[in-house]
Amino acid sequence: MTPGTIDLAGVSTAYEGSDLPVIRGISFSVAAGEFVVVGGPNGAGKTTLLETINGMLPITHGRATVCGLDVAASGTGVRTKVGYVIQNFAFDPLAPFTVGNVVIMGRYGILGYGRQPGEEDHRMAEEAMRLLGIEDLADRSIGKLSGGQQQKVLIAHNLAKKPEILLLDEPFSNLDLFTRSFVCDILTGIADAGCTVVMVSHAFDALPDREVRILAMKDGMLSLDARCRGDEVEEKIRNLSGSVHA
Amino acid sequence: MLEFLIPNNIICHAVEAMLFASIACSVLGVIITQMSISSIGFTMTHAAFAGASVGIFFGVSGTATAILASLIIAAILGPLSEKARMPTDTILGVLFGMMMAIAIFFVSYMQYLGTAVNASALLFGNVVSLYREEIYALAGISFVAILFVAIFAKEITAIIFNRKIAEAAGIRVRPIYYALLFMIAISVSLSLNIIGGLLLYVWLVTPAAIAYQFCTTVRGLFLSAPLIAGSVSVAGAWFGLQHSLPVGPLTAVAFSGLFLIAVLISPKRRVPKGA
Repeated sequence: MTPGTIDLAGVSTAYEGSDLPVIRGISFSVAAGEFVVVGGPNGAGKTTLLETINGMLPITHGRATVCGLDVAASGTGVRTKVGYVIQNFAFDPLAPFTVGNVVIMGRYGILGYGRQPGEEDHRMAEEAMRLLGIEDLADRSIGKLSGGQQQKVLIAHNLAKKPEILLLDEPFSNLDLFTRSFVCDILTGIADAGCTVVMVSHAFDALPDREVRILAMKDGMLSLDARCRGDEVEEKIRNLSGSVHA
Repeated sequence: MLEFLIPNNIICHAVEAMLFASIACSVLGVIITQMSISSIGFTMTHAAFAGASVGIFFGVSGTATAILASLIIAAILGPLSEKARMPTDTILGVLFGMMMAIAIFFVSYMQYLGTAVNASALLFGNVVSLYREEIYALAGISFVAILFVAIFAKEITAIIFNRKIAEAAGIRVRPIYYALLFMIAISVSLSLNIIGGLLLYVWLVTPAAIAYQFCTTVRGLFLSAPLIAGSVSVAGAWFGLQHSLPVGPLTAVAFSGLFLIAVLISPKRRVPKGA
């Protein structure tokens, strides 16, 4: 086992019926505790890359190893070690789920069938809510929260399982500028503590004040793999021909 | 089972059958309505209907062929919805159409041959025509449905919150989903003779929809839906048989009326006054 590492060797992922694989022959390695920003134009394959890393999409070529596990063979095992904050979500305002319910659900995969959450699980869920500053929302219905609050709940849901790797798909899309900075500080903190952070983002105004790694994608392939400070990411991405972002 | 409460054997059997059918259907109904795949309900009921029609046509047990047809649909539904990369509802729509066509073909052909008496009972149900073994089987599937929800409560809760988020959390979603399909298949097949293929969908969807108007927790839904379904079904069976009214349609109308009232008085829909 190699906690927090990602190794992709010539990985391609294709959907049925598509002319070309969505990501094609991608190879890179990420060490534990790295803070990776994945950029690129719409349709470049960024979300597909995240879902390939956590084993939610079939790998048609190549080999992916995450936390020392072969993703193709042990998808569920990988997902118990990897957090994934999805991009598109919409919750019914009348849905019978409180914030507390949703955050503790982050622990269910680790527990496995038949085991109920114990004191330790509830403690970790509370800790994650405190970290995101949403502990006062614990009894509120998730469907009645704002998009930004729901985004924080989903981040807390993933942090509750103490992931070795945290994948985030556009985590800032629902957040105001102040909250972006607040969430970025949390992500920087967990990366400093050894959790690998891989974040797809078009918002470069709240990246950490530390060295980050940029993986830029275009047409399903890597077009840039570089390291720079957080405040230099936007310039680096803009300098790539044909991939200007809002 | 309930003879000590209801001395009349016919009414007693009808009440027992309605009670157990309503418990199994409503417990599973909470899951399918919350997952927004309630069209599984009418696809399965029509698979059972088609299976039973074929069975009657060939002179074998309608219940056995209904179970077989529903299980086949359950077995192909999961892989097909994943393989075809289409929304589950689209797949269900296609299968529903196919099952309905098979059922209508055999029912029509039996009408042409003059042997459609049993087949029409499949459409509208017949609460007094059950064998003792069928009531025991319904009691069994109700118990299994409750046990399934109790054992996999946390996985089911996560899946009905959001299937993709549950999968990303490391929950093995597929076995739970397939188990759900198989249990719905058996429940609707066993309930077909009592409630009928055209009305069974009401038992799968409406009690959960009524409970949803009042419950703020998943646990509350799983407790309230069978309670509502059981109470209305037992009252419907008793009242219908006492007054020689068709039990299935009467109870279905009662469910629908109750749903309308529930929507009107739902505390979840109340708009705060002032400010």
